[in-house]
Amino acid sequence: MHKYIFRRLLMLIPVIIGVTFIIFTMMYFTPGDPAKIMLGESAPHTEVAKLREELGLNDPFFVQFGRYVKNAVIHQDIGRSYATKRPVLEMIITRFPSTLKLAALGVLVAVLIGIPTGIISATKQYSLFDNIAMVIALLGVSMPNFWQGLMGILIFSVYLGWLPSSGFNTPAHWILPALTIGTSTAAIITRMTRSSMLEVIRQDYIRTARSKGQVESKVIIRHALKNALIPIITVVGLQFGYLLGGAVLTESIFAVPGVGRLMVDSIKARDFPVVQGGVLFIAITFSFVNLIVDILYAFVDPRIRSQYK
Amino acid sequence: MKKKKIAVLLSFILILALFATGCGNNQSAPEGDSGPGTPTDKKDVLIVGQGADAVSLDPHATNDQPSSRISKQIYETLVTQNEEMELQPALAESWEPIDDLTFEFKLKQGVKFHNGEPFTSKDVKFTLLRGLDSPHIGHIVGSIDPNSIEIIDDYTIRISTKDPFAPLLAHLAHTATAILNEKAVTEFGDDYGQHPVGTGPYKFDSWVNGDRVELVRFDDYHGKAPAIGKVIFRNIPENTNRTIELETGGIDIAYEIPPTDVSRVESNPDLVLQRNMNLSTTYLGFNCNKEHFKDVRVRQAINYAVNMEAIVKSVYKGVGAPSKGPLGPNVWASNQNLTPYEFNVEKAKKLMAEAGYADGFKTNIWTNDNQQRMDIAEIVQNQLKAINIDAEVKVVEWGAFLDGTTAGEHDIFILGWVTVTGDPDYGLYPLFHSSQHGAGGNRSFYVNEKVDALLDQGRTSVDPAVREKAYIEVQQIIKDEAPWVFTWSGEDLAGVRSNVKGFKQHPAGHHKVYTVYFE
Repeated sequence: MHKYIFRRLLMLIPVIIGVTFIIFTMMYFTPGDPAKIMLGESAPHTEVAKLREELGLNDPFFVQFGRYVKNAVIHQDIGRSYATKRPVLEMIITRFPSTLKLAALGVLVAVLIGIPTGIISATKQYSLFDNIAMVIALLGVSMPNFWQGLMGILIFSVYLGWLPSSGFNTPAHWILPALTIGTSTAAIITRMTRSSMLEVIRQDYIRTARSKGQVESKVIIRHALKNALIPIITVVGLQFGYLLGGAVLTESIFAVPGVGRLMVDSIKARDFPVVQGGVLFIAITFSFVNLIVDILYAFVDPRIRSQYK
Repeated sequence: MKKKKIAVLLSFILILALFATGCGNNQSAPEGDSGPGTPTDKKDVLIVGQGADAVSLDPHATNDQPSSRISKQIYETLVTQNEEMELQPALAESWEPIDDLTFEFKLKQGVKFHNGEPFTSKDVKFTLLRGLDSPHIGHIVGSIDPNSIEIIDDYTIRISTKDPFAPLLAHLAHTATAILNEKAVTEFGDDYGQHPVGTGPYKFDSWVNGDRVELVRFDDYHGKAPAIGKVIFRNIPENTNRTIELETGGIDIAYEIPPTDVSRVESNPDLVLQRNMNLSTTYLGFNCNKEHFKDVRVRQAINYAVNMEAIVKSVYKGVGAPSKGPLGPNVWASNQNLTPYEFNVEKAKKLMAEAGYADGFKTNIWTNDNQQRMDIAEIVQNQLKAINIDAEVKVVEWGAFLDGTTAGEHDIFILGWVTVTGDPDYGLYPLFHSSQHGAGGNRSFYVNEKVDALLDQGRTSVDPAVREKAYIEVQQIIKDEAPWVFTWSGEDLAGVRSNVKGFKQHPAGHHKVYTVYFE
């Protein structure tokens, strides 16, 4: 197991190098001069030239890339933002807690709603509950997050006055964004849990468990759910990974100072160091989430655990 | 054993969530920011919502509006402009011209920076020299001669320009020339933008990146102390949400109310909508270097063929006003008595025929991806068909737009300008002087020797009457020669809760909040 984890961590190195090179190349060739965008329409040409020189934008591609890699490897410095002059790492680290909080709460809501609903739907297939749950899940998947968020604000902030409409600094502020993300993610998890459970409960060993006189709840939880968990974990892990990259729309609607909004703002401003740092950070985070998911497989399924040895 | 494993799995998810919710900035909500309808005994926190986070609170590192709005509360300039754009003393008690190039400033004594350092003329010299080195604010301080800033004593300083420059005082009133403290700047180095130190009524307290900047009252302030102890500038990017936060009491002042929310704010008895014309203008410019637009009759014909008043009303939904000239109404010496081109397609056709273009021609209209400008371009494209002009709308990315219009690749373009100093020199010289073609700001590539001479006179003469006469004449010539179709003069809309008093919008957009109090 340890060897496996170590091997996976080693694989991060080529991922980081690849992502760095690709994103650096893409940003370099993206139209739009950061100096011009920063200084705006009223800036004289001489000032644009001065800023380009100051930011090192006049150097050839490989000189710029080499400098970036050298600073990152030797000084652990991934640069400063062109606009704010803040260290990129610091900017990302200060924004990450909000994103992590939002993603974790969203996934928690999704799991708490999605898994039980999926299980009940599967065990009572084609019942009224199943049909209603599936329609709601379909709506949940189809409803755009921004619309759901705005409706939440309208109902709970404007009409009822129960919850604040934006910001992210007290638990009251967390509820609406977490529900917005959670409900749409819950829809995906519900559908996955249902289909995965449906597959499992038709297996022979479930019939055997029942014929042995096992209590139904134990059959479902111990025998069926456990075997159905692998695809559910995969979906939860993927969703968590995506959300860690920043739920841009939800962050914008609720004014959550997260990584997603930082990235979008930086792309618009052609703030290359922040975009590069941000993408790298997201790639590493995603890799870690995948690793955790793979480790979780081993906990759930002894067959997979034996392969890791 | 199996139960245990499932318990481990569920615990993992919960622990992750708890970890996530536990880390990060555990700042408690300030008084007055604990949700809608929270009663507070004595409100001592003013919360202002704006559409973007500040970039930097170093006035030399950026020139964006959200940053300047916060800097305005932290720093002070030598002179200032009130809401009527009149010059007033600030850190300089008085000033007088010594010769054509030089002003002498007597500085206020007993002023302290937020770090306890006394304010002296050394800080002024340090600030101006540092500003001259910055690519962000060169257009504000660029006229100053770095070798001729002379300290007479601790509280007297002389500032000279390279050439006679009449609008110097208006430039020195801009927030970009706010006076910094050398010790603080040196101490924080590259991080100064996150640790600003000024002499203003509020001092910097904290900054949650992307979320809020908090300021607290500076007890040693040399002027009238602000009534409110703490000001929070919140970053609420969604326009609608800013209005909702204002309605539900989450914020006290909301900047940039969108046109779609005007009636909602106006009809709410708890809110007051402040509407003030600002210093911005939007225009449709012709590239006078292009064959068709060299002929003044073609430019005039388009002015007659486009019903700009109706376009502006529909695109901007009643916000702002159709422009009457190249300068907004708040700019000094703005000529608001110019007779506008009437909407007259027949007259336009006649002028086109006289110019030899009765059958029209093909052209293009450049705009960036600003929604209103794209809408204007499309309507103009449609209206030009009446005089047989086949215009293609080109929506160009901002950087490429600036590059292309600098190089003169465009035929017609839509752009905006903000006369931030409130002086006509800033709003006319870069846009119409022949020395400013392309990157300088004159993207119309307009040339008129008389206009050049009058703009030079306005820039160099110290007699306000001479300047005013020159600028009034320039605006008349520009209207007649039509290098632009005057489009839109901007307006600032702020929503204010009705218990908030003492707030007034500044035409430059840098509103003072230290005069605000709660009723």
